[in-house]
Amino acid sequence: MILLDTRELDHPVPLEMAVAAFKKLTGDEVIHMIHRREPIPLFEIITKNGGRYLSVMEGENLWHIYITRSSTLELEHTHV
Amino acid sequence: MYNGLSLDQAPPISVVLRFFFTVPVFGILLALIVFFYPHDVLTPTHPISLAAIHVMFLGIITMSMFGALFQMQSVLGGRPIPSVLGNAFLIHLFLVIGVLSLSGAFVLGTPELFIIASVFLGGSILYVATLILPLLFVGTPHDTLRGMRLALIALSLTAILGIVMASEYANLSFSAFHAVIRSVHYSLGLVGWIAILIIAVAFQVVEMFYVSTPYSPWCKRNAFKVIAVSLFLKIIWLFTTLPYVWVFDLVIGALLIGFVTTTAKRLKMRKRRVSDVSIWFWSSGIILLSLAVVAHMVSLSNGYPQSQSISLIAFGLFALAVILGMMGKIVPFLVWFHLNSAGYMDTPLMSNIIPQSRAKGVFTLFILTSFTSIVGVFYIEFFALSALIGAAMFTLLLINLIKAYKLYRYTLSHGKRFEQI
Repeated sequence: MILLDTRELDHPVPLEMAVAAFKKLTGDEVIHMIHRREPIPLFEIITKNGGRYLSVMEGENLWHIYITRSSTLELEHTHV
Repeated sequence: MYNGLSLDQAPPISVVLRFFFTVPVFGILLALIVFFYPHDVLTPTHPISLAAIHVMFLGIITMSMFGALFQMQSVLGGRPIPSVLGNAFLIHLFLVIGVLSLSGAFVLGTPELFIIASVFLGGSILYVATLILPLLFVGTPHDTLRGMRLALIALSLTAILGIVMASEYANLSFSAFHAVIRSVHYSLGLVGWIAILIIAVAFQVVEMFYVSTPYSPWCKRNAFKVIAVSLFLKIIWLFTTLPYVWVFDLVIGALLIGFVTTTAKRLKMRKRRVSDVSIWFWSSGIILLSLAVVAHMVSLSNGYPQSQSISLIAFGLFALAVILGMMGKIVPFLVWFHLNSAGYMDTPLMSNIIPQSRAKGVFTLFILTSFTSIVGVFYIEFFALSALIGAAMFTLLLINLIKAYKLYRYTLSHGKRFEQI
């Protein structure tokens, strides 16, 4: 699991970090991104490039996003 | 996983950029008008002044806001704009023809040009409203969407009143209500369209871009209501010639000062104090809006024409500051987003798409333009000088946009895609 806690980072750094990590993903690797907003544009980039994601809102200004390239891996949210 | 949002909704990059590319062209046109006719531009209701005002508020400000609306509606509204390429093409074309014909109509006094301007400007604005407004009423409402709705309604009413006045100019026959219609046209256009849309955008982007504390729920919930009610009552007061109409200007002015104060506080309290040109633009915008409000209040109390000019110039510069700051963020984002979305591995970093040095150049020229144009209200040579500096600023903006787009095209033709790795 690659953890990206981007809650304190100014836009667009979180998006750039997540996409850079996504480009390097292999096999069953998963990125766990913690962000203060739901990064909608990121989802379009992921789905258009063969990835999948799970987005979970845990509270106000607290989102957990799980990203993988695996087509079989089941993504699930685990409380941090 | 999809949370009710369509994921394939971002419009093609050309949709937004066609509006943005036109902004500096109209900026240079405005600079030429100011440079060659500085006295006339500063004379209220002079045809050249009216031409300059419409180039500023339609050709530059509304042009960029339409581009931003196409992008924001798709991302925030949750529903894509139908046939977005064709619709953007027509709206942009109509707006360009409309602004040129209206400015030409004022300068040349040709009745036919007023008719052409009415058809194309009215067409463009009402086309945007009928296209985007219905999409803002579906999905989960939030404060920015509410502000966008109200702004578009105000813009539509501004356009309808503009058509009424254009027909008066075309026939050289002015109704008894001409002055009232003009006041309402200005109030709806400046406050209802421009100020409301900028406040709505600020509610979304200030806390998102700069990791700051959110605006208070009371502020978000009530700001648009206060402005809408004040504008509505002001219009009734104006048409029925009731006394104390300035009270509504005071209320709107107080709300704008409240917005300025709370935004300044949020920018100051941001968690990471990273230097960013867009924050400098927001800060300048805050100062300019404060100046516009104060100058308007002074003109209400003493009717001093220079106060009116300062108020209008400072308000236009406030909107321009926010637009330039946001363009510096949106354009690199669009280039980066569309390249990544298309699967390009070697997409440049956003900070390299418009380098800081050139972004700072635009900001420096903006500050100089602002200073010289405001001082120019008292010393006309400075006003002409502001035109030269403004022309340099818009030229650099155009260069930044062209280079960003060329980088996009270059990566499209030379970049490596995911599947090639």
